[in-house]
Amino acid sequence: MRIRLRVNGREREVEVAAGDRLLDVLRDGLHLTGTKEGCGEGECGACTVLVDGRPANSCLVLAAQMDGCDILTIEGLAEAGRLHPIQEAFVEAGAVQCGFCTPGFVMSAHALLAATPNPSDEQILEALEGNVCRCTGYAKILSAVRRAAAQLGTRDPSREAA
Amino acid sequence: MDYLRVTSEPDLAEALSVDGAVPLAGGTDLLVKVRAGVARPGLLVDVSRVESLRGLSRSQDGLSIGAALPLADLLGDAAVRDAYPLLATVLRSLGSTQIRSRATLGGNLANASPAADGALALLAYDARLTLASRAGSRALPLREFFRGPGRTALARGEYVHSITLPAPDANQAFFFHKVGRRRALTIAIASVAGLLSLEDGVIVDARIAAGSVAPTPLRLAAVEDALRGCRLDAALARAAGDSASREVSPITDVRASADYRRDVTGELVARFLSTALRASS
Repeated sequence: MRIRLRVNGREREVEVAAGDRLLDVLRDGLHLTGTKEGCGEGECGACTVLVDGRPANSCLVLAAQMDGCDILTIEGLAEAGRLHPIQEAFVEAGAVQCGFCTPGFVMSAHALLAATPNPSDEQILEALEGNVCRCTGYAKILSAVRRAAAQLGTRDPSREAA
Repeated sequence: MDYLRVTSEPDLAEALSVDGAVPLAGGTDLLVKVRAGVARPGLLVDVSRVESLRGLSRSQDGLSIGAALPLADLLGDAAVRDAYPLLATVLRSLGSTQIRSRATLGGNLANASPAADGALALLAYDARLTLASRAGSRALPLREFFRGPGRTALARGEYVHSITLPAPDANQAFFFHKVGRRRALTIAIASVAGLLSLEDGVIVDARIAAGSVAPTPLRLAAVEDALRGCRLDAALARAAGDSASREVSPITDVRASADYRRDVTGELVARFLSTALRASS
């Protein structure tokens, strides 16, 4: 069946099979390979994208259900060749090791900061609870999100689209 | 496997009357089962855009929650969180932020996992279900819904329409604790949810639900009966814990042994009561 969806602000029309996941459409159909498949069961969060502004595991979303939906992936964050402040904060805080989990963490952080610009540490941890890093730990990731929140808080709010 | 999106309940009921048709809401349980080959539906009937299954309505009888309302929407309602703090606490521990964006109470119940977190809060609140099909609708207490792991009272072609909680009781103390390997995204080794009403130190009503310790989520009716009318003290809390250990029928699996699950259940029930005792004195 054909579905129409908006991906990173661009209208797309794709042919999907009933069993295809949103993850398959993004990676194989649209070649947006920044979204990663880790566990394929919703446990690791590497495939996190925003669906109508909410974080979701794209491995657990049936593509056919996405007709008419608005999807934001990691590729949609940078503007005009400049990293998004959340991405910059991850780089500056050294919150990246192998990098496989990073797109998912960044997307979860993005959903958090759109809804809660000045989150407590507890709110950050709750927002990231569905993302797993297997290289090291979470201290630098936590500090990256704090840094991003501070950075975004000083920006003109109109620049930060939901 | 085919996919069909419906936008009305008559169309849903019609679609589900076909052999092999299964409702799909958030998909967070069902799609994992489909990919693992554990579930082989012939037709996925997408209910996520049936507006009448996504409602949230209050009346003097209580709160009615549409079966296909995402948990994030339910948790986003401050009035629901205030009126039903046990439900909010339990749902915040269900899955992860990503899962709660899409998962629904109807799905949590119909999936009928013995470890279903959402079911525990709903059992403690004495939730009633409205089930519907082409033949009409019927009401069923949640306690009569679960029939075994993955098995429910849903007849062929029937779906969960809504979940109704009785009017809230602001004087109830509540308790929830899930024991697992980590806090987020964990399948419970054992979990206990409870509501307690005290008057002058005497237990007027106790409702205790336990998960992952029997073929279905269940209420510990014998423990509750023994508590009603008793003065709450430390000895009673310990005794209730001991009898809770006896009332459950856990299995040994990859997550924990049956003996450990019995011990944990007893400990959690005792902790529930001793916490309520401390708070009341």
